[in-house]
Amino acid sequence: MDMNEIKEIFFQECEEQLAELESGLLRLNDGDRDPETVNAVFRAVHSIKGGAGAFGLDDLVSFAHVFETTLDCVRSNRLEPTQDVLKVMLKSADVLADLTNVARDGGSVDQARSKQLIRELEALANGEAPPAAEAPAAKAPAAKAPAPKAAAPAPAPVPNEEGFVPVTFSFDDFGGEEEEVIMVAPTYEISFKPKSDLYSKGNEAALLLRDLSRLGEMSIHCNMDALPSLEQMDPEAAYFSWKISITSDKGEDAIRAVFEFAEWDCELEITTAEDTSAEAGEELPMQPVPFDLSILDEEPAGPIGIAEEEEQIAAAAVSAAEVASNVVQIASAASRAPAETKAAAAPAAAAAQNTAQAASAAGQTIRVDLDRVDRLINLVGELVINQAMLSQSVIENDANGTSSINMGLEELQQLTREIQDSVMAIRAQPVKPVFQRMARTVREIADITGKSVRLITEGENTEVDKTVIDKLAEPLTHMIRNAVDHGLEMPEKRIAQGKNPEGTVRLTAKHRSGRIVIELADDGAGINREKVRQKAIDNDLIAADANLSDEEIDNLIFHAGFSTADKVSDLSGRGVGMDVVKRSIQALGGRINISSKPGQGSVFTMSLPLTLAVLDGMVVTVAGQTLVVPLTAIVETLQPEASAIHSFGASQRLISIRNSFCPLVDVGRILNFRATQANPVEGVALLVESEGGGQRALMVDAIQGQRQVVIKSLEANYTHVPGIAAATILGDGRVALILDVDAVVSASRGQPLKPEISLAAAG
Amino acid sequence: MKKKVLTVDDSRTIRNMLLVTLNNAGFETIQAEDGVEGLEVLEEANPDVIVTDINMPRLDGFGFIEGVRRNEKYRAIPILVLTTESDAEKKNRARQAGATGWIVKPFDPTKLIDAIERVTA
Amino acid sequence: MAAKKAAPKKLSLAPVLDLNEAQALHGKLMGLRGSGVVIDASAVERVGTLCVQVLMAGAKSWEADSQAFTFSKVSDAFAKTTQLIGVNIDHLMAKEI
Repeated sequence: MDMNEIKEIFFQECEEQLAELESGLLRLNDGDRDPETVNAVFRAVHSIKGGAGAFGLDDLVSFAHVFETTLDCVRSNRLEPTQDVLKVMLKSADVLADLTNVARDGGSVDQARSKQLIRELEALANGEAPPAAEAPAAKAPAAKAPAPKAAAPAPAPVPNEEGFVPVTFSFDDFGGEEEEVIMVAPTYEISFKPKSDLYSKGNEAALLLRDLSRLGEMSIHCNMDALPSLEQMDPEAAYFSWKISITSDKGEDAIRAVFEFAEWDCELEITTAEDTSAEAGEELPMQPVPFDLSILDEEPAGPIGIAEEEEQIAAAAVSAAEVASNVVQIASAASRAPAETKAAAAPAAAAAQNTAQAASAAGQTIRVDLDRVDRLINLVGELVINQAMLSQSVIENDANGTSSINMGLEELQQLTREIQDSVMAIRAQPVKPVFQRMARTVREIADITGKSVRLITEGENTEVDKTVIDKLAEPLTHMIRNAVDHGLEMPEKRIAQGKNPEGTVRLTAKHRSGRIVIELADDGAGINREKVRQKAIDNDLIAADANLSDEEIDNLIFHAGFSTADKVSDLSGRGVGMDVVKRSIQALGGRINISSKPGQGSVFTMSLPLTLAVLDGMVVTVAGQTLVVPLTAIVETLQPEASAIHSFGASQRLISIRNSFCPLVDVGRILNFRATQANPVEGVALLVESEGGGQRALMVDAIQGQRQVVIKSLEANYTHVPGIAAATILGDGRVALILDVDAVVSASRGQPLKPEISLAAAG
Repeated sequence: MKKKVLTVDDSRTIRNMLLVTLNNAGFETIQAEDGVEGLEVLEEANPDVIVTDINMPRLDGFGFIEGVRRNEKYRAIPILVLTTESDAEKKNRARQAGATGWIVKPFDPTKLIDAIERVTA
Repeated sequence: MAAKKAAPKKLSLAPVLDLNEAQALHGKLMGLRGSGVVIDASAVERVGTLCVQVLMAGAKSWEADSQAFTFSKVSDAFAKTTQLIGVNIDHLMAKEI
């Protein structure tokens, strides 16, 4: 491990700390007053500062320092964390994140913004914010203490530079060591009288004297007069004191530095020999001390001494394995922590909860290169296909195969499935980081629009494939912008409508039947259906007299180029509409729809697969081709009877299902597998739910069975085919196409399958 | 015999820096992530010297130092406080809790090793 | 007196004579009062001031009792540490015959 790797670890850790910081600040914003929350927030900034200092990231250090100082005021109850205070802190957290990114990736930050925040933070630390009501006046002067001193007079623009000088104790005096030209070295007379505390705190007079002896020629007298008899003595009390005479060119500071750790716990007097009469020493029998008492420091691998600084870290090769094994050892030690912790400390319930959180955070983890995981996933995919092919050929070659082979195959299938699930779980990650990024988006857009917004997130720990998470951020950001910009009303308008002036945006994630469902709800005005409808008519999307349900109108906003904002705002406008969002979600094999209540807000619901690697599908035959229909899309399958089929118009047909009519979609026709319509009665109908919420009955010729298939991207291996999401390899080795249900359904509505509509691009 | 150092710090960055620095200097290094874990591994680690952070979750450096000093068997171990807290108040609190000495972060490898040498035989 | 005739008792010091050992060493010495004592410090690897204090207090008390208090063997570490802190034990070393 070298410094670069440690730096990488530092940045990873920064990300975690920043997330911790933000979620802590948000909890405080919600009224959480648990001291541990404040502590955690403080620690996050503190930790970033500490690491940044080690790598000489000065911008980061100085901002973190000011931030930390203000947080310390909150921590010590000198500053009430009001909403206004937290607003500054949340913005500061954003700037800290920016500074971290710049430190890692280069680029520049908004200097004006960070300077402004530094001023605001300092103002808070100086008590210039609305003071806490219950803070007694006596505390006021203390409140100013931790603030950078230079900050007190307001005009100073970069006060923190001055205020923060990391006080490292100086060993420079030792630096030169012996080689320097020896001037006439002065002689110091030292009187050193330890107190008992010196020993109880782990200091040792002998070690101090050893270090002292390295500074020059030394003689010593131990005064034992205070030593009582054995019976009367306290074995842990200090009785000895010393008079030392040392001739050294290292200076008095170097001598004092030796006693730095001990100075609280001893009486120490240092005088130069000239000050005292030469005879002072004569009365005492002085014992000369050899310069090098090597026995006392032979233990470690030689004192590393005063050498070439960082090279020692960077250069000397510690074998990676050695470090790694240490790390693992630590991790396993950490995992033991939780059990006993609870008993040990934290009587308060809140504290206990924090303990549990901390414990779970310290779970055993390893970091693995993503490529390795992906390779494993690929191989397991091949294994699944191979296993399916094996099963098939056994069945084909030995129709009444022995039960032991069949049992073995079943077990193999079970195992393969479990391996696959386990491997997929490796890639699964909580959506938390994406959700946290959204908090920032909300803050920024709220600032720009002048709206007051509260973001509530739920289900942050819901896990989904990392690829899905990575690709989720962009559409989600866009939707959040939309929700705040278009969805929520201005505060005055909300008040006029009897709503809370502060709008709420709720972002939730949950697992539902093998998919992840993400909901984005706002309590704004809801979709203005009149406006949407008019716009759609204006844009020739629908006929002027079209009879559309509310739901269908709402879903019009997903059409390309559709935007209802009277003027394109610079925020959610940006030339992209909800159609882009929809396509991104579809590209992930997901669906999106909206439901809206006028005056009460809108809810966007996205349903996404947990993984992009496998799919549970129904294998069907259409015009001699084998297709796979994603099982999640299928509501039910039915065998149509002639009496249930109703024709209308030139080629439209409906099927009646339990007293309702559902359009019948001939998949073979839509995909151009055949020229004429198939007879519904000879086939099977798959009742599917498309993302618009409407149901359609997909006509296929026959159902072959149900199985899990490994998704192979068509785009990657061939080219995009309209109406087809991806491909897979079946047990018999044949390639089967995976149907893009939504594309087929919208094609059936009269929109031809256009190649430019990006369909699910899985794999 | 290698000298054993127990480091207690919640920052992964700092833990790694300590690990590399100490290993390169020929120490055996045992690491804990907070005060609670530090006290738990004490028996097993049986260190010659302890280097600890102040700000840590679950049990901070002050509590950890007090815990070590209360321990009959390990109370004599020198403890160095490793922290960015440079003000005298924090140092004083650490001393009152029983710290032997301190090192101010960002630490320079030489100073770290030097401080350890100063408090160990 | 009877004490004079008692054979000196032997006390072997532990390798590490730190803060923790001071109390124990004190107890051991207290238990040896009344008879001469010969201390074997040859196994000592590390000795702190507190234990030296205990030993010196012992030496004082034994001297007051006119009992023998001698070191038979001392390790290099023990010798060097006592020298470093200015404690002279030469007069307590057993005279070899």
